[in-house]
Amino acid sequence: MGRAVPDRVVTNEDLGVLMDTSDEWIQQRTGIRQRRHVGADCGATDLGRIASEEALRSAGLGIEAIDLVIFATLSPDIDWPASAALLASKLGARRVPAFDVKNQCSGFLYSLACADAAIRSGRARHVLVCGGEIHSSGLDLTTRGREVGVIFGDGAGAVVLGPSEDPGRGIFSVHLHADGSNAEKLWLEAAASRRRPRLLPEDLGGDDPKAFPRMRGKYVFKHAVTRMPEVIREALDHNGFTLGDLDVLVPHQANLRINQMVAASMELDESKVVNNIDRYGNTTAASIPLALHEALADGRVAPGKLVCLAAFGAGFTWAAALLRW
Amino acid sequence: MPPETRILGLGWHLPEETVSNDDLAGALGLPAGEIASRTGVTVRHRAPDGEGPSDLARRAALAALDAAGCAVSDMGLVVFATATPDVTFPGAACFLQEKLHAGTLGAIDVRAQSAGFLCALDLAMQLGATPSPSGGLDPRYDRVLVAAGEVLTSGLEYAPRGADMTPRFGDGAAAAVVGRGSAGARVGAVRWYTEGDLADRFWCEYPASRQAPVRMTVRDFEEGRHYPRADLGALAEIAVDRLSSVAQEVLEIAGWEPGSLDAAVIDYVEPEVAVRAAHAIGVPDGRASIPTGDFGHVMAAGLPIGLARVLPGLAPGARVLLAAAGPGFTWGAATLEV
Repeated sequence: MGRAVPDRVVTNEDLGVLMDTSDEWIQQRTGIRQRRHVGADCGATDLGRIASEEALRSAGLGIEAIDLVIFATLSPDIDWPASAALLASKLGARRVPAFDVKNQCSGFLYSLACADAAIRSGRARHVLVCGGEIHSSGLDLTTRGREVGVIFGDGAGAVVLGPSEDPGRGIFSVHLHADGSNAEKLWLEAAASRRRPRLLPEDLGGDDPKAFPRMRGKYVFKHAVTRMPEVIREALDHNGFTLGDLDVLVPHQANLRINQMVAASMELDESKVVNNIDRYGNTTAASIPLALHEALADGRVAPGKLVCLAAFGAGFTWAAALLRW
Repeated sequence: MPPETRILGLGWHLPEETVSNDDLAGALGLPAGEIASRTGVTVRHRAPDGEGPSDLARRAALAALDAAGCAVSDMGLVVFATATPDVTFPGAACFLQEKLHAGTLGAIDVRAQSAGFLCALDLAMQLGATPSPSGGLDPRYDRVLVAAGEVLTSGLEYAPRGADMTPRFGDGAAAAVVGRGSAGARVGAVRWYTEGDLADRFWCEYPASRQAPVRMTVRDFEEGRHYPRADLGALAEIAVDRLSSVAQEVLEIAGWEPGSLDAAVIDYVEPEVAVRAAHAIGVPDGRASIPTGDFGHVMAAGLPIGLARVLPGLAPGARVLLAAAGPGFTWGAATLEV
């Protein structure tokens, strides 16, 4: 596993200078105290490279051992080609299948499902999955964009996956869901290929800048606290486990209040739930590997532990993975 | 032995409106004949304002489901390959999922440019070949809907500065129901690769999250950095080399001689380069089909649309090679037995 976040810490007080908001308001609604923003030109794959290099080192593998590179992002370095191509190149790979997954907050888990299938089917032996985002270059950090602007942070996390000799360990299953009827409840519209032309100068500013993300927060919140418990139970049931068997839940870090409500509704002790949103904000596809990395470092995730990774977010998409570390 | 995977149904859609070289000549400041000789493209299709790749893919997917005799509720996942999603996020797969009334079916957006269909097909095959914890294969992925769609024409420059790139691209979509069964074309090996060192030779740079403090400024806009750019001259040899080497790889896995091919669909932005690749591979004369010449380059969707057009003319047992290359630089190939 590996991780990377930019050095620059942006506190709630720092945001209060740019917009009409307060530390109290942000903390009360989201649990976020600070997030990281890149200070200069830096792509999601630049953070992804640092995270991936650490993951390769900790796996004891060189890039030549990687048969597939999957990069989960909703903020690719460039429009096209896929940022996975840039990441593979930065890691020194010259000829490897590499693709991007654009599944927002569930992107890391959708990517994990792809990697799991590639390994189990024998198509690949080792797969690099990296989630990386640079949100800060696409946020409206004025009062107009505050509902979304205060939430997101930059970061990356990576894992190297390979076959397990022990059938009792590893990823048991990944469960994927979507509901596109809510696509416009949390979205970034432009550039939009469905509109001619897909990008206009007025998208970048003005009263209704379509090049910045927009969210119906309460609506998203309500669905998140329903769908996450649902998919966690689905993953447990599928493998014949109960909630009592679960050692650790690593949820996507969208909002501390969502994760607290999920834990409460499932009667899951909060000590079993990994949260680090207070320091990084919502890093979408990077949030689960960032939190997992931390839980691994402090021993909450350790060999033999039954771990559930779960996410809900834009799309809507939601997913859960059950694994024995 | 991996389980057999088949294309159980295939559908495609090209928008009704066609754009000829005469139509483009005025805006691009180039005679129609010169557009044709420079690009090898005579006509392309254009989606109407308000329609994104998910709208085109919906029609293709309904045709594919119909051909396979399946309902969307039989699918275990929607995989959608596109480089031009309907909106910036969420991905186009969510929009397609909704348009197919797919309930809470999982939907994944993959981006691998011109190899997008091969990437999605590869993923569907792997999911279908995944062992289940209770033994046997994971039944959740018996059927996967693989779609590819692009609306490229809304991101092109209709002015003289766009004369070299704009005529080369078109819109369209295709979809396949992929899974186990006794009917339908059997998929052999799928292999594809990316060489990111070449990413900036053929790309659309902006909006670019890597630019601080904002992804796109009005100045970037004025400079046209949100339009595709390419150094196609430098890529031609590379394309021929990569297409022929990956085609050779999948043919060897299938145990087929190139001379035994009944059809080959070779997709690359320059039709003339695709023809050269067909020769380098050893595709018999008259058996190569080059989609770009007929409807422009449609990135992820060009290859499966090309396949859908040749498939009805092939007899059972026919051997088909698919190969595509494009931005990334990304290239790949697959074998199919009808």
